[in-house]
Amino acid sequence: MFVNNLRTAFEAIIANRLRSALTLLGIIIGVFSVTTIISLGDVATASITAELERVAAQQIFVTTDSEPGPPRPTTHADLSEADLEALAGLPVDIVRQQGSLAVATVAGTTIDLSLTGTTANAGDTIAMAQGSYFSEAEADAGDRVIVLSAETASALYGDGDPVGQTLDLAIAESKASYTVVGVEEPASGVFALFFGGSNLSADIPLETLYLLAPELPQGIYNQVKLQVPLDQDVAAVGAQVSAALDAQRGAGSYELQTVEGLTSLFDSLMLILQLVLGGIGAISLVVGGIGILNIMLVSVTERTREIGLRKALGARRSTIMQQFLIEAVVLTTLGGLIGLLLAVATLYVTVALVSFLSVVVINAVVVLLALGVSFATGIVFGLWPARRAASLSPIEALRYA
Amino acid sequence: MKVHALRGTELTIKRGSYTAIMGPSGSGKSTLLQILGGLDTPTSGSYRLAGEEVAQLRENDLAEVRNRRIGFVFQAFNLLPRMNVLDNVALPLMYAGVPRRERLGRSQVALGRVGLGERLRHRPNQLSGGQQQRVAIARALVTDPDIVLADEPTGNLDSSTGEDILALFDTLHAGGRTIVMVTHETAVADRAEQIVRLHDGRVDTIETVGVGIPIPITVGTPIPIFEEELNHVRQ
Repeated sequence: MFVNNLRTAFEAIIANRLRSALTLLGIIIGVFSVTTIISLGDVATASITAELERVAAQQIFVTTDSEPGPPRPTTHADLSEADLEALAGLPVDIVRQQGSLAVATVAGTTIDLSLTGTTANAGDTIAMAQGSYFSEAEADAGDRVIVLSAETASALYGDGDPVGQTLDLAIAESKASYTVVGVEEPASGVFALFFGGSNLSADIPLETLYLLAPELPQGIYNQVKLQVPLDQDVAAVGAQVSAALDAQRGAGSYELQTVEGLTSLFDSLMLILQLVLGGIGAISLVVGGIGILNIMLVSVTERTREIGLRKALGARRSTIMQQFLIEAVVLTTLGGLIGLLLAVATLYVTVALVSFLSVVVINAVVVLLALGVSFATGIVFGLWPARRAASLSPIEALRYA
Repeated sequence: MKVHALRGTELTIKRGSYTAIMGPSGSGKSTLLQILGGLDTPTSGSYRLAGEEVAQLRENDLAEVRNRRIGFVFQAFNLLPRMNVLDNVALPLMYAGVPRRERLGRSQVALGRVGLGERLRHRPNQLSGGQQQRVAIARALVTDPDIVLADEPTGNLDSSTGEDILALFDTLHAGGRTIVMVTHETAVADRAEQIVRLHDGRVDTIETVGVGIPIPITVGTPIPIFEEELNHVRQ
């Protein structure tokens, strides 16, 4: 009987092609918008995560909230060599970093830079577009060498090759001439979106920074990057670092960030967005459901005679009920399927067109949810019309003109 | 005050007989036919079909009675316009739970019996009125019921086509089926063995007509397996 009713449902839907299609529109739009919004959120999160893992998977950042100038009671002290001693024995390669503001000048072009004095091992995780990162020998000697970000290089030199060129750098009161040894790869993916065009930065050896700006405090760092070997678990090492630093300088006096921490932040932001937008999409599903309710009621009224005849020929109440319920469910599930296919197509097109999205994510849960919800919409909104159809008295129904 | 379509009616119809029900409109003839067919149940009184009290049956059992033991033929044919001829005829078999292949085979046989061996894939609206009524009769016969109930089966047909359909009923009767037909045409009723005249919800007269068509009851005394009594009393 189920198969027969299924056949009957398809016949009825095909017989009323235009009406079915218009009715389906509500469900299609509802499923399409909910699925697209949730999946786009997943795609964005996955793209960000992939990007973060590519650039910073094996890194732990330890930062303090200190600001340039004399220490204030509200802020915490920079990380000292003593703090870093506490990390000895942990499987991390420490990259000390001291930030400063600087002004760079090349042939009349002057720009403000965010300058970082750092150690040569910082170069281990930085991809270079031209030249190379400064070497350990250069760093130890305090040579006046500088590595530019891609944005800085193009701001100062345009399309020309900056490697081997010199530039004037002013830090606080001191001014000196530096040789460019390398240019970093431009930021790509999500980071290009967030930082593109404004990432005017450059790295010089820490020793050089000290030589040039002796007024800067030495042996303290407002950011330390810990590079974790590939065979180590970042989260586990992060916990060890936390324990060591808590014991050394007290909990809360520093911040520790890993990729996981960053991605979970993105995840929760994205979840809020998905819930809000998905909720709006869900409203159109309800509207679509009411459309189904309306059209099924029309269908029952229209086919009153048919129902009477079917009952006269021996159809049971449950059979008629099933027939109309299946028709509603077939209608909504069809709508759900179409909406889902449109959503998948949209996702592929979006990911292909938008450069910072890199991965298409179609969550099985989302797919099942979309189909499940459209199925349930058919049941919920088809039930009343189906009951109405089933409880028609055969003679009254046959009399209906 | 309640209005009763039928009251104080008592009627027995024997198996294999051919009964015509006549009467002016509003006399209760359609209601009587609907009660006989299990489409309606009397508010009071009793209706026994082959000894079984139908008024007491539950809805699903009533549906089964309609499905297996009774075939309906309507004035307006009542074919489903979306289905082809074969599927229309097969509809009662679907509700009887017969597999599709067998359904179509039996429907084809039933259509052959009413003289429609072709045009099986046509839609009802592609057929003439007479052909449509043949399809409806085939649908009434497809479950091989004992009883065929017809409500003005020639009412929508011209007289010569009506003749053909009535001849078909004669053949069914000759084949041993019990036929009850509602009509207002005397010429139609004259083909029956007995004519029940209703007036104002009561049986006025029951007239036995001498008919030329022999009824093949072969063994012993006729057993009244199909009988009905109606007692509608004004309350």
